[in-house]
Amino acid sequence: MTSGSLPTGLRIKRELIYDSGRAEPVLVTQLRNFWRYRRLIGLLVRRNVVARYKRSLLGVWWTLLNPLLTMIVMWLVFAHVFRLRAGVAGIPYVIYVLTGVIFLIFLQQGVDSVGSSVVLNAEILKKVYVPPEIFPLAAGIGIAINAFLSVLPLLVLQLALGVGVPWTLILVPIPLVAMLCFAVGYGMVIASVAIRFHDALDFNRVLVMLLGYLTPIFYPIAIVPGAVHQLIELNPVYYDLILFRNLVYGGSLSTWQPWVAAVGTGVIALTLGTAIFARSWRAAVARL
Amino acid sequence: MATPARIEAADLSLVYRLPRDQTRSIQEFAIRLAKRQIRYEDLWALTGVSFSVRPGEVLAVVGPNGAGKSTLMKVVARVLSPTQGRIVVRGRVAPLIELGAGFHHDLTGYENLILYGSILGHHPDDLRAAAGEIAEWAGVTDFMDAPTRTYSSGMLSRLGFSVATWARPEVLLVDEVLSVGDETFRRRSTRRIKEMLGEGTSLLFVSHQMDSIRTLAHKVLWLDGGRAVMYGNTEEVLDAYLTAQDAIEAPITERQAVASQQA
Repeated sequence: MTSGSLPTGLRIKRELIYDSGRAEPVLVTQLRNFWRYRRLIGLLVRRNVVARYKRSLLGVWWTLLNPLLTMIVMWLVFAHVFRLRAGVAGIPYVIYVLTGVIFLIFLQQGVDSVGSSVVLNAEILKKVYVPPEIFPLAAGIGIAINAFLSVLPLLVLQLALGVGVPWTLILVPIPLVAMLCFAVGYGMVIASVAIRFHDALDFNRVLVMLLGYLTPIFYPIAIVPGAVHQLIELNPVYYDLILFRNLVYGGSLSTWQPWVAAVGTGVIALTLGTAIFARSWRAAVARL
Repeated sequence: MATPARIEAADLSLVYRLPRDQTRSIQEFAIRLAKRQIRYEDLWALTGVSFSVRPGEVLAVVGPNGAGKSTLMKVVARVLSPTQGRIVVRGRVAPLIELGAGFHHDLTGYENLILYGSILGHHPDDLRAAAGEIAEWAGVTDFMDAPTRTYSSGMLSRLGFSVATWARPEVLLVDEVLSVGDETFRRRSTRRIKEMLGEGTSLLFVSHQMDSIRTLAHKVLWLDGGRAVMYGNTEEVLDAYLTAQDAIEAPITERQAVASQQA
C-alpha cells in the first residue's frame, strides 16, 4: 500500500509514536512529563479542589476555616489548659500556633492525598496511558494551594494583634514550595507501597503524626530537653517551619543553614520519590 | 513508500508476578516475610504474540476467558509494558473500554468532558471549542451543567464514546463496548467507527460475537493461554476457532446424553 492511496492526515507526529523498545531514562522522563503534561496537571488540580468542596455548604471557605478552627482548639488547649505561653518571644502565642497549624495541615493532608492519589485514579490508569506521576503532583499542588490561601486569615490576625506584616512575606512561597516538594516526594513512596498494601496509608498517618509532633507546632523549641532537641534537628520539615515563621511574622531572613536544609530536603525528597515511584510502577500497575 | 503499520507487535510476552497468597496488609506481609513464606508465581499472560495492524485495518481478537485478550489490549494501550518483545503504536490511542469509567461523578458533564479529553491527550482549548459538538452527538447537551452522578449509564457511555472518538484517533481499542447501550446508540456508534475506519483509523477489538467479527474484521488473532493459536484471515481463523470450540463441546454433550440415559 502506498501513502498516495491513503487518506490524508496519516503522517504521525514523532511524539505520538510509542515504542516499548525505546529505552526511556527514569527520572528525566518523569521530570519532563511534569512539564509536558502541565495543562492536564492544572485541570487535575482544579478537579481536586473543586470536587472536594462540591457538595458542601461553605465550599472553598473550608480552606480558610479548617486551619482557623484547628488553631482555636490548639490555642485553647495549650494556652489555657496547659498554660504554655512562655518562651515564644515577642509574639502572641495565637500567631505561633496558627503558623504551626497551617504547616501541620499542609504536611498531613499533603502526604496523605499524594499517597492515595494513584489508588484513587486507578480506574483511569488501568485504561488509558497517562504518566502516573502527574496524579501525585496534582494532589500535592492542590493541598499547597490550600496552604497558601490559609496564610490570608493569618495575615489578618497579625494586623489585628499589632504584629504587622513584614516585607519578608514575599519570600514565603519558597519554604512552602520546598514543603510541597517534600510532601510530593515522600507521598510518592507511600503511593507506590499503597498500590500493593492499602493499609500503607493508615501506617503513614501515624508516621506523619509523629513527624508533626517532632516539629515545634504548639510548643516553643526552648522548652524541649536536649536529647529530643537533637531529634527535632534531624526532622527535615523543621527547617521549613523555621523559615516560614521567620518570613511570615518574624521579618528575619534567618541564617543560611535552614535555607540549605529546607531547599535541599525538598529537592532530594522529590528526586528520590519520583525515581522510586517510577521504578516500582511497572510491577505495580498490574495490581491496581 | 510503504505506510508503516499502526500497531506492530513482535514476540510480545508479559509476566504477572503474583504472590501465591494474596496479602493486602503490611502486617501480614511482614509476618510472612519474617517466616520466609513469601512465594511468587509467574503468570505468563502473553507468550510470544506477534501481529500488525495497518491504517484502516481491523483486527479482531478471539479466545476463551483468561486467554490474555484484555492484557493484550492493555499492552497496546501502553498501560502495561511487555516483559519481552516489542510493541510500536503510531498515533493516538482511544480505548473504548468501560466507557465513562474515568469520570469523576461530582463534576459536571462539561467538566468531565474537558478532563477526560485531556487525559486522552487533547488540548483543553480544542476540547472547549468542540464541547458543543461532542455533547450534541452524545445527546446530553441539556445536561452538561449537571454532575455526571445524575446521568444514566447510557448517557455516560454516549458521552465517553463521543469524547474518545471526536478527534478521530489513529487507533481504537474496543472491548465488547458496542454491546452496551440501546439499539440507537449501537447503530450510531457502529456508523461512527465505520466512518473512522474509512478515514484510516485502525481498530483492534475483542469480541465473542462471531457475526460482528465476520462483517468488520480483516484479520483475526486467536489467543489461548496467552499464546497465539492462529493469526490470519478472518474466515480461516474463525472456521478453525469454531471447529475447535465444537470439538471441546462435543464430549460434554455426549457425556450429558449418557448421564441423562442413566438417570
